[in-house]
Amino acid sequence: MANTLRPYLTCIRNTLNATLCLQNFPCQEVERHNKPEVEFKTSPELLLQPVLICRNEGEKCLIEGSINSLRISIKVKQADELENILAKKFLRFVAQRAESFQVLRRKPVEGYDISFLITNTHTEEMQKHKLVDFIVRFMEDIDKEISELKLSVNTRGRLVATEYLRQFL
Amino acid sequence: MLAVCPNSNEVHIFRVPPGSVSGSELERIHVLKNHDQLVSGIDWAPSSNCIVTCSHDRNAYVWNFDGKEWQPVLVILRLQRAATSVKWSSKENKFAVGSGAKSVCVCYYEQENNWWVSKLIRKKHSSTVQSVAWHPNNALLATASTDFKCRIFNAFVKGVDAKTDAVGDTKFGDVLMQIDSASGWVHDVDWSPSGEKLAFTAHDSSLHVIDIGAGTPVQTVSMKELPLRAVLFLSETRLVAAGYDNVPFLFGLNDSGSWCLLKNLDEPKASSAEKSGSTFSSAFEKFKGQGAPTDSLEPLKPPATIHENCITTLQALGPAGYSSTTRFSSSGLDGKVVTWELKGVLEGVSGLKL
Repeated sequence: MANTLRPYLTCIRNTLNATLCLQNFPCQEVERHNKPEVEFKTSPELLLQPVLICRNEGEKCLIEGSINSLRISIKVKQADELENILAKKFLRFVAQRAESFQVLRRKPVEGYDISFLITNTHTEEMQKHKLVDFIVRFMEDIDKEISELKLSVNTRGRLVATEYLRQFL
Repeated sequence: MLAVCPNSNEVHIFRVPPGSVSGSELERIHVLKNHDQLVSGIDWAPSSNCIVTCSHDRNAYVWNFDGKEWQPVLVILRLQRAATSVKWSSKENKFAVGSGAKSVCVCYYEQENNWWVSKLIRKKHSSTVQSVAWHPNNALLATASTDFKCRIFNAFVKGVDAKTDAVGDTKFGDVLMQIDSASGWVHDVDWSPSGEKLAFTAHDSSLHVIDIGAGTPVQTVSMKELPLRAVLFLSETRLVAAGYDNVPFLFGLNDSGSWCLLKNLDEPKASSAEKSGSTFSSAFEKFKGQGAPTDSLEPLKPPATIHENCITTLQALGPAGYSSTTRFSSSGLDGKVVTWELKGVLEGVSGLKL
C-alpha cells in the first residue's frame, strides 16, 4: 500500500507547489471587491486548468487554481461502510472547526470529502512550503486516523459482544 | 530614499540616515496615508520629485514634497474598478494607470484647472491590465494583461506632448502591436533603455523578448522554474527577471542573437559540500530505515534564498535615462528590499555583492 501512497502524495505536492503562485487580484466585476476567483468563476480567463490526481477509484484529489486562490478537494479512502461513516463524522468534526485551520473550507466541494481554500493572503502571511507540507501531512494523517478509529471501534465491538454473550454461558 | 508599501493602504518613505556607513539600516521619515485599500502601485519621478500612487480603491494620488510634508493631489481617474499599476512617462509629464476595468488611463496635468485629468484607452483589453511600461520616446505605452496578451499603444496626447513626438498618423489609444505568444497571464512588461526591445513575462514560466528595431519575431524563453512576476532591462543585452522562485535570474543575448538564461543570481553557495554529505547520510538512512519502513514524505526544506516569498518588483538603481546599469533592487512579499550589484555583468560573468 505504502508504495502507491508515496508517488500519489509526491505528485500532489509538486502540483501544489506549481499552482500556489498566487497574487493579490482585485475583482473585475464588482468595484472595491476582492474575492477568490476560483469560487466565483466570473472570468474564465483567470482560472487555471483543474488537475485531478487519482490513486484509485476511491481516493482522488482535485486541484483547481486561479489567479488569486487555489482550491484543493480530497476524497478519502472508504473501503467499507464503517470507514464511510467514520470518515464522514470525522471530517465533519474537522470542517466545523474550519476557523482554527484558516485554509479549510467549511463545506466540501460536491463529490469530495474535504476541501481547502488557499488565497493570496495565506501565501503572503505563511510560508509556502509549510502550507504545502500541511496539506500533504493532513492527507497522510487522515488515512492513519481513520484506520485507527476503525480498529478501536472493532475492538470495542468485540469486547462489548464478549461481555454481553458471557451472561448466557 | 525609498518608498515602499507594506502590503496595506499606507506608503512608507525611508531614507538612509546621514551617519550610516554600511547603508543597510533605514529610518522611516514619512507615512503617506490617503488610500482606503491596498496600494497597488508606486512610482517616483526622479527629476520632478513627484510620487504617484494608485490603489485598489480606484484612486490615484500625486504627492508633491513642499519641504516638510508630502501633499497629495487627487487624480480624476474615472475608473470603475481597482487600479493595479502606475508608471511615469520618461518626460514625467504624463503617467499611465492600468486597471481592473480592462482599461488604461493616461493622465496629464491640466494647468488651468490645477488638476490631473485622464484619458482612457477603453475596449482594447479583454481582462485586467497588470502592468504598464512607457517607451523612452514618451509616446508609446506597453501593457501586460491577464488576457494572455501584451499590447503596444499610441499614448500621444495632443497639447501635452510636443508635435515631434507624434507616432505616424495613428491616434491616441490605437493598438500599434499585439503580441500573443504567451499562453498564460502576462505579469510584467519592460522596454530596453533605447526602446528597441520589449520584454514581458507570463504565467506559463516564459519570458518573451521582441526586437522592434530589427523587426525580428518574438523570442520565447521557456523555463522549468516557477513563473516570473517582474522583468527589468539592465542594458540592451542583459535583463533580470524574478518571481515565485524568490530569486532573480539573469538573461542575456548570446552571440548567435538569441536570448537565454545565464545565471541564477541567488545560488546557494555550499551546494557541493552539502551534496557529498547528503549522499552518505541518505545511504545511512536507508540502513536505519530497513527495520521500520517509513512511508511519510520528509518535510520540504525552507527555501535557502535571500527572499523568502515571491519577488514582486524589480527596480533599476542608476541615473535616469541610463543605457546600462549594474545595480538593481528587488522587493518581495516577505517584506524585504534587497539591492543587488552585478560586477562585469556586460562581459557575461557576474559577481554579486549585497
